[in-house]
Amino acid sequence: MEKMNRPLDRREFLKLAGLLSLSYAIPQFGVAPGASQPTPGGQNVLLVVFDALSAYHTSLYGYHRQTMPNLDQLAERAIVYHNHFAGGNFTTPGTASLLTGTLPWTHRAINHNGTVDGSFVKKNIFYAFRNHYRIAYSHNPLVNTLLFQFTQDLDEFIPRERLFLARDGFIQTLFKTDEDIATVSWARTIKRREEGYAYSLFLAHLYEQYREGKVANFKPFFPRGLPNTGGDNYFLLEQAIDQLGGQLGAFPQPFFGYFHFLPPHYPYKTHRDFYGKFERDGWMPVEKPADLFSQEKSTKTLLKWRIWYDEYLLYVDREFRRLFDYLEASGLLENTWVIFTSDHGEMFERGISGHITPVLHQPVIRVPLLIFKPGRETREDVYTPTSAIDMLPTLLQVTGQEIPDWAEGVVLPPFAPTSPDPERSLYTVQAKHNEKYAPLTRATTTIVKGRHKLLYFFGYDDLVGRERIELYDLEEDPQELNDLYLARKEVGAELLDELRAKLADVNKPYL
Amino acid sequence: MCAFPLHVWTIILALRDFSWVTERTNAWDAIGVISYGMVFALIESLVVFLAAVLLGFLVSRQWDEGRRIALLSVLVLITALWAMTSQLYFLWGVSLPEQMMRFLAQSEHPVRVLYATGLALVLPTVLIPAFLVLKSNKVFHFVRELTERLSLLTMFYLVLDAGGLVIVVVRNL
Repeated sequence: MEKMNRPLDRREFLKLAGLLSLSYAIPQFGVAPGASQPTPGGQNVLLVVFDALSAYHTSLYGYHRQTMPNLDQLAERAIVYHNHFAGGNFTTPGTASLLTGTLPWTHRAINHNGTVDGSFVKKNIFYAFRNHYRIAYSHNPLVNTLLFQFTQDLDEFIPRERLFLARDGFIQTLFKTDEDIATVSWARTIKRREEGYAYSLFLAHLYEQYREGKVANFKPFFPRGLPNTGGDNYFLLEQAIDQLGGQLGAFPQPFFGYFHFLPPHYPYKTHRDFYGKFERDGWMPVEKPADLFSQEKSTKTLLKWRIWYDEYLLYVDREFRRLFDYLEASGLLENTWVIFTSDHGEMFERGISGHITPVLHQPVIRVPLLIFKPGRETREDVYTPTSAIDMLPTLLQVTGQEIPDWAEGVVLPPFAPTSPDPERSLYTVQAKHNEKYAPLTRATTTIVKGRHKLLYFFGYDDLVGRERIELYDLEEDPQELNDLYLARKEVGAELLDELRAKLADVNKPYL
Repeated sequence: MCAFPLHVWTIILALRDFSWVTERTNAWDAIGVISYGMVFALIESLVVFLAAVLLGFLVSRQWDEGRRIALLSVLVLITALWAMTSQLYFLWGVSLPEQMMRFLAQSEHPVRVLYATGLALVLPTVLIPAFLVLKSNKVFHFVRELTERLSLLTMFYLVLDAGGLVIVVVRNL
């Protein structure tokens, strides 16, 4: 959700504001038009996504700081994927890839707050799990934009605001049958802070004071400010976990739950229990040269944000542990597949902070993936490169369902009937400023094949009509410091040809 | 007079929002957003009216009723204008002039200076018209005529409010 990293133009602002509220356009706790028929005896699936969680910053994957000690422990009971790649580098394409099992150049949710192509309204993970009771929740409005498209295949779409600290429940109560539009209008009328202006000239000010008063008691627990999704939409991750943990047992089984929490996404507001944990550890990350697309952040700034982010991860780690404990205590773990992953990563290097960048280096696209199989007590490590698009076919396979032909991913090892293909090509796409229904002419794409990764930038003004191509050997150089494109010409040419051929193929429908 | 600025502002912003709501859902929902906005504007107008009435009890009775009403109307209008101005930064990207920003940055107490400057700017815009309404017949008559004309316009807004209310009710059936 890059709105926090750069100013939005008016249109984006309004769209976000709208979405914030259109996330209520829901068959809330009622039955959706395409309501599921849960098959008795099936296994549950709980897909938990923590937004902008980079594998690079996770102690489980070798990060210097102990950012996720609980996850390290839980991994002893999981299948741990070490080279898992997101579909894109920000929420919209990354999440859409998870939910549709296709890459951004196919689902077309490539722009900020974008939506998937209409054909995916019936080609998504919720539709595929129609034999399950399907529930979804997200703090992130960009995710809700996508979920809103899939409401027909959701049995419960929990309103975003339900897990905010100061919610305006009376609007939902008063306008029950028109909750979505009433909430949009209420937000536009009274919430001045979200966009800087509101319909109300006087009451908006009083309302702000009232909201601040409501969250005042929580402020001492968050020295850097309360976690929020922008404006005064404050939330606590522990509250979300408590609610989810408390509700899980009550859902009809088998269920498919998609829960997308905003932390550790910016703003990095950790709990006071973790505040300052890494501030004086003296650790200095590997210094990397400024990128052509550098945001010109100083080393000092990047170090500060990195510390804030890393300390926020501790908070995420503790809360995921609590969720896991809920599942275990309730006995649900015995019959539930739990997935821990993210939609994209985050970076604090090369003069870039965050993930709103054309750059697709590892910290921003390599994400954690852990699969907790029901009843599993041992660890298994998978080093084969895998992709977010593999999640959909894998979850369908392990729950004994049919894999649709439109899914672009493959079943992950060790669940696939055959060994992983060492020559498989994995792609990540960044085309935020490319027109949705047009050939990709301004984008960054990567291809990962075996140990090599090629980055291909094209169409950016900064490139002045040229292309930028880089090649890295991820085994020898996981920090991506030595561009081998000239040194390993043959490998580079082969990967580039393959990537270009793929681009030509995906561009065909839009020519 | 309480209803006028609130409704104008709501209508301007709601019409700006119409296109994206239509784009995202449909025109009926966009009309719904405007309708709720009108209903909320009506409620806010009533609240402001009540506040103005209460304030009216504090105004000395040495002035006749017409003048007191004119005074309160002017106060509501000016306050509303300043409330609109405060939102222009986000609407039009209007910011303080560069020199002013530099001066604030260099001053030892930028917040205090900002508030003092704000007060120095706002106070005369409130006090001078208030004084003129009470002391000048010409200004008083002007305000009274303005109030009467705007009241007519307000009737039109009330019709819109009623329409909005009907739409809100229909949407919630």
